[in-house]
Amino acid sequence: MTHRLPSFVRTTAFRLTLLSAALFALSSFLILAFVYAASAGAAISRTDAVISDELEAVERRYTDAGINGVNRYILQRTAGGSDFLYLLINPNGRLLSGNLNGVPVAEADPDGWLDFTYGRAPVSDADEDQSSRRARARLVEIGEGYSVFIGVDFENEDRLIGRLLRAILVASALVIALGIFSGVVVSRRFSRRLDAINTVSRSVKGGDITQRAPRNGSGDELDELSANFNAMLDRLEELMHRMRNVGDSIAHDLRSPLTRMRNRMEDALREGGNQQSRQAALEQAMADSDELLSVFNAILSISRIEAGERRDSFKVFDPAPLVADIGELYEPVCEDSGHSFGLQVEEGLKVRGDPNLVSQAMANMLDNAVKYTPESGAIQLRLRRHSDGRAEISVTDTGPGIAEADRLRATQRFVRLEKSRNQPGSGLGLSLVKAIADIHHAVLILDDGPGDVEQHGPGLRIAMIFPLVAKKA
Amino acid sequence: MRILIIEDDRDAANYIRKGLKESGHVVDHAADGEEGLEMGRSSEYDVLVVDRMLPMLDGLSVVETLRDEGVSSPVLILSALGEVDHRVEGLKAGGDDYLVKPYAFAELLARIEALARRRDPEAVRTKLVVGDLEMDLLARKVVRGGEEILLQPREFRLLEFLMKHSGQVVTRTMLLEKVWDYHFDPQTNVIDVHISRLRSKIDKPFEDALLHTVRGAGYRLQA
Repeated sequence: MTHRLPSFVRTTAFRLTLLSAALFALSSFLILAFVYAASAGAAISRTDAVISDELEAVERRYTDAGINGVNRYILQRTAGGSDFLYLLINPNGRLLSGNLNGVPVAEADPDGWLDFTYGRAPVSDADEDQSSRRARARLVEIGEGYSVFIGVDFENEDRLIGRLLRAILVASALVIALGIFSGVVVSRRFSRRLDAINTVSRSVKGGDITQRAPRNGSGDELDELSANFNAMLDRLEELMHRMRNVGDSIAHDLRSPLTRMRNRMEDALREGGNQQSRQAALEQAMADSDELLSVFNAILSISRIEAGERRDSFKVFDPAPLVADIGELYEPVCEDSGHSFGLQVEEGLKVRGDPNLVSQAMANMLDNAVKYTPESGAIQLRLRRHSDGRAEISVTDTGPGIAEADRLRATQRFVRLEKSRNQPGSGLGLSLVKAIADIHHAVLILDDGPGDVEQHGPGLRIAMIFPLVAKKA
Repeated sequence: MRILIIEDDRDAANYIRKGLKESGHVVDHAADGEEGLEMGRSSEYDVLVVDRMLPMLDGLSVVETLRDEGVSSPVLILSALGEVDHRVEGLKAGGDDYLVKPYAFAELLARIEALARRRDPEAVRTKLVVGDLEMDLLARKVVRGGEEILLQPREFRLLEFLMKHSGQVVTRTMLLEKVWDYHFDPQTNVIDVHISRLRSKIDKPFEDALLHTVRGAGYRLQA
């Protein structure tokens, strides 16, 4: 078994906070160390300067008044208590005057400098230990074998620097502790919010797609993550819902022709019948299966279009030649069905999309018009520019039209309005047009046509209005 | 014709084989990509029918490999993937035609026969002749029995395709794909109407009909 750290320690937030705390502690430590080095170094060089000055004064005395003058000077200086430490030593090593009990035991450097400790009687602040004070001094022979020892007690500075050092260490420790503490707090907070998202994704994985990640409305990264996550779930849910619908619709729309086909074949088998009736039954079955295939193909096309597979192949093009070509393809059909066919094409428009799909949408719109317009009607295919520059492709017929209440349903899958039940076709033509419009972000409008012609109805106008193509900067 | 079918679905393969044999062709069958590649390499076929999704080695790789090795027999790719991009992939891999499942057998047969014909050095021909119908591809002129027939540009292309495949069945889908370059099936009989217009120009004023309707399949131009 591996020992597991508390969960917040494993979070990214905690690690990041800890890292920044460590960096902060390191930099503050470096700064304080610099301060320490600077102040301690300064204290020592100041001490040396003071000692050298005093030594000069003593040497002047020696020049002026000889060894006795020096002795008097030291006695005088030490009488009232001095910051300096003095010793005057005769050639035999005896102490003549000074305020120390003896030459401290310490190694002097070649210039005579030495660091040492000494004890002295407590003066006023009894709480401080006086038995071992730090000092620095210089031992120099001034002449005739006499040596003078001049020192400065820097125990006070030393203690100050010591306190400074301790303060620095404590401060650094405090910074690190604070860093860890805030790391814990921040990561706990961060983890709680991430946990909420994780919980949702786990339950979605478990099958409950209705769950959504909580949002706090702050608009920060986590809030945005939740928003995107939720949007993704919305899309997934919609797709799942749609898929279920498609499944139902396929089952519904394929079952009846399949059943019909099966019954027909069963009849033909049972009745035996003559060659001719069997032939007829077979042909009918083939026609049924062709219809099934066309439904099937339409479903596949719609699904693929809706999945947005082809959005990668979108390009910007002028729809005019496309519209003219489809017009050329359909004109004979319209005229042979006894309709007049009008084609109006405005050039120089721009559409962003898949030309094949746009052609297919027009073909479906025209198929629809040809199928539903009673004889001697009129069908018009038109490409025009909206005042705001958008391109609109429309097909208008003089057929029965679609009642306003049915218009929304007409573009849904497998909805064949009652009146048209007896017409052949997959019932998917307008759904396909809708899917193609959607993938192009085009608006699909179903509207009344030119008005009632010979009591056939108001006619139908289907228009796809494409969004403006942004000019490339 | 010798035809090789590379198709892993046994039922589909048997169905194609039976149909093609009845139409007088010699048919070999390979059930996976590697076997198909081996057979395609080792003997000369007039047409290869290759399913796109195959075990061992996928159909496009089979075609690519055969092309790399210099096998030039025309290839018809069968696939359930029918988007334009998929077709383009198929043709790029070295396929000559692309048929989307499900298809009618008549469609398959018509396309196989059209492919076999394509091997003729047709590109250099500037004149097409079917019976007393003549087409001059350079002058863009059509003459039948000495009389010039005026055609719209699209009618000209339609007739050109029919004449290039004279004697063969040409399906409506083939016409829509090759003459109009549309890859979807209209719900109305658009092609029939165009054919009947063409017929009224090239056949009606004359005694013998050249443009025949083949029931359940398509059309055939034949003297």
